[in-house]
Amino acid sequence: MALIRKVKAQAQGRKGPGIFQAYYDLRKLIHKETIYSPASSGIMRLTPYLNLAALLVCSLFVPLVFVPEPAGGFGNVIVFLYLLALERFFTALCGLDAGSAFGGMGSSRSMSLAAVIEPTMVVAFAALAFVLKSLNLHEMFALTAGSILPVSPTLVLVSISLFIILIVETGRLPVDNPATHLELTMINEAMVLEQSGKNLALLELSHALKQLLLMGVLINTILPVGLSTEADAGKIVISALSFLLKAGALAVVIGLFESSLAKMRLFRLPAFYMMAFFFSALTILIEVFA
Amino acid sequence: MLEALVYGAFAALFSGTVLPLLYRSKNARKASFGLSFISSVLLLGFAGTILYTGKGALFPAISFLPGLDFTLGVDRLSAGFVLLIAAVVPGVSIYSLEYTEHAKSEAGKDLQAALTNLFILAMLLVVLAGNMVVFLIFWEIMSLSSLLLVLHDYSSEENKKAGFFYFVMTNLSTAFLFLGFISLFRLTGSAELGQLESVDPGALTLPFLCLFTGFGIKAGLVPFHKWLPYAHPAAPSGVSALMSGVMLKVAVYGFLRFLLAVPSPELWWGILVLTGGSLSALFGVIYALKESDIKRLLAYSSIENIGIIFIGIGLYVIFEAEGLPALALMSLTGACFHAFNHALFKSLLFLCAGSVVHATGTRNIEAFGGLVKSMPVTSALFLIGSVSIAALPPANGFAGELLLYQAFFQASALNDPLLTVLLVIALSGFALAGALAAALFVKLFGITCLALPRSEESRLAEEVPRPMLIRAAVPAAFCILAGIFSKQLLSLAGLDVEYPDLLLLGLLLGSIYAALFLAVRAKEDHEMEKRPARISETWGCGAPTLAPSMEYSSAGFSEPLVMIFKSIYRTRIMHRPKYFDGQESLFKNGNVEIRLLRFFEEYLYIPPARAIDSISKRISRLQNGKLDSYVLYAFLAVITLIIATGVLV
Repeated sequence: MALIRKVKAQAQGRKGPGIFQAYYDLRKLIHKETIYSPASSGIMRLTPYLNLAALLVCSLFVPLVFVPEPAGGFGNVIVFLYLLALERFFTALCGLDAGSAFGGMGSSRSMSLAAVIEPTMVVAFAALAFVLKSLNLHEMFALTAGSILPVSPTLVLVSISLFIILIVETGRLPVDNPATHLELTMINEAMVLEQSGKNLALLELSHALKQLLLMGVLINTILPVGLSTEADAGKIVISALSFLLKAGALAVVIGLFESSLAKMRLFRLPAFYMMAFFFSALTILIEVFA
Repeated sequence: MLEALVYGAFAALFSGTVLPLLYRSKNARKASFGLSFISSVLLLGFAGTILYTGKGALFPAISFLPGLDFTLGVDRLSAGFVLLIAAVVPGVSIYSLEYTEHAKSEAGKDLQAALTNLFILAMLLVVLAGNMVVFLIFWEIMSLSSLLLVLHDYSSEENKKAGFFYFVMTNLSTAFLFLGFISLFRLTGSAELGQLESVDPGALTLPFLCLFTGFGIKAGLVPFHKWLPYAHPAAPSGVSALMSGVMLKVAVYGFLRFLLAVPSPELWWGILVLTGGSLSALFGVIYALKESDIKRLLAYSSIENIGIIFIGIGLYVIFEAEGLPALALMSLTGACFHAFNHALFKSLLFLCAGSVVHATGTRNIEAFGGLVKSMPVTSALFLIGSVSIAALPPANGFAGELLLYQAFFQASALNDPLLTVLLVIALSGFALAGALAAALFVKLFGITCLALPRSEESRLAEEVPRPMLIRAAVPAAFCILAGIFSKQLLSLAGLDVEYPDLLLLGLLLGSIYAALFLAVRAKEDHEMEKRPARISETWGCGAPTLAPSMEYSSAGFSEPLVMIFKSIYRTRIMHRPKYFDGQESLFKNGNVEIRLLRFFEEYLYIPPARAIDSISKRISRLQNGKLDSYVLYAFLAVITLIIATGVLV
């Protein structure tokens, strides 16, 4: 996340904050007091913890450095998608909680866009499941792990969809602008506008975690090289390093992508999503007829 | 032993029906709802045992007409639906105890209590029916008793219209069922349900179409759904919960009973059912988004969920026809489990909606807001219902949909590529419906319970009496338990399908939550013992106070989605300007109307209704009141009959 910010700043000809600025921000927020609005309710107090908990559970679903044996239903794609939905549901409620018009606007937009992206997401993951013949993310990536190139050429197509999903889900340009606080343009920022202090820190952390997980899925799909299949200390170090490298590269790509685009009009977005839908559907068609 | 439980339940419900009519007092009504509560406890034990052991039972037949036996039977399928009834009834009966007392007249209260019991009894007997005749008899009793309950407040014009609509639709449904059952009877020569092994599958087309239409009307499938959003708001909240939660499922049960009896269903049946289901799911939720009447919104959402159940049934037929029994079982389990779950969370939501309406005196969502302060318990229960229906893990709404998603994701196992493509299209529709439902319930819960009150009534709302709280807590508890223990429940019922363990997930989620919470709390205690969390105004762009009118409204919330799905709503804006002169340059006056085109009503329902109207007008000319012409009619009829028998026989 910080790297994206840095790349964007560089592209815009600014120096930009240091890579660790995000962590400094988190530390600062954790030490600050929390302020609640008198209109707000338990939802506002509950959401930060619940979101982070949901995403931490989610992180057990996506193998980042090594692929464990799937156990106890962990890694199920559908559960993964719906845990993300859980996070979104409560964030949107949070936006409505304080009674501010900004929050309501943010939740309304976020839920509308989420509804439109959902078929794409499900179909993209269904395409993954079709190609890799499993419902389990661990099993899927156990299949891709170790190879240098994507296992199947159709995975490249899915990756395009996954990239768009990553952009949408983490609220980046051209869908949402994470750097703005102008009422007309914010979506995610509007929902967390009334959050402060420790709660805000937790929410920011879960947002970053979500981005990391979706990046992980994308990386494992298109460039699985270096992903280890066994929990061997040496291999883990190698694959952790390679993951850092790949994630860094992806962050640079996202940063450049963001810098080169302007924000789209809200109602133009469904067309943008259709593109992602098209690529996933194409994958499925190719898989089915081939 | 098991039989005794059922007979006990029958006796309890029957006396619950009769008592309030005989004694006409508050105590009798109380006893009546108490009896329905007892019956549901008995039924829970009964259905649970049958589901667990998998041993069906057939009750001794009582012959009441020559050639027609009154038979009741039970197997796993019907036991599942008995369990569904038994799970919803306790909440409703405790709830109605209080709610009924708000009816206008004493007689009205007695009738409501009696009819509610009769309604439950009839639904129970439909599910337990052993042959077609018994099925149809109790089907009619079920329809009529619910009709009377819809008409409980018959003085209002709106309710009369709702009652009439419901009456027509439910009779249409029964007519189709009659047709379907009679053609089945002609094929098999037996009135028993489920003896179709020897029948040629090609001959089953007519019965299938009739039964699909008949049960589809009753279940509220698009395009036969219009009675639902009229009838549900008119009925008392407890009855809405029963109708939406249970009666629609009874229709699903009837359809399943037929489908499971067919040894090899045909592929196009599955495609038809899947299409109907997907359309219902999408249209239901899209219409719900636009609705601002809380009970009507929930009714539309029932249409969506019925759609999901039919998607599951459609998948079952497709996989069965393609010879994939494991996936077929998974879809069927998903459909049944979702039916069960929907019964729980929808009755919970209807009861919560009832409390909110009771406390504020309006059904308009735009007038709610801030109820989480004045009605904390109801709001918490409402949240549980919303989380369940939005299919968020680990609540129970997610469990059924998870099974269906899994079945969808394995569509590549099908041999026919075109079929797989069809399934992928249905899958994207299913996913869209799911996500829209989440948006819908963010709106419903957010606008109703959170932020500032939007009206005086909402600000002055008070928490409802305790019985009404307890009743809603019952389904709420079931919702969470059925979700978390879904894997264990399914394996107890003997359904062995591939399924992730949500118990583990729930435990993990809970423990991480607790750990985070404690960590932050400890830090807070550590650093600022003297400073509690500060309360400060929401930022209002510098305005001194935040007015409720500045908040996002329900219509505003769904506006982006309404824009995106503009073509489905078919909003029409009509300008009717009037001018002083022929050149249309001097504007006189005029009106502009924004109207939501009620597509199904205007294109599907009204034309046949008009046609029937004009035909009956023509026929009514025959009734001229003269004796000699009636004699002529009778004579002509006899002649026609004689000729007809001569030709046909």
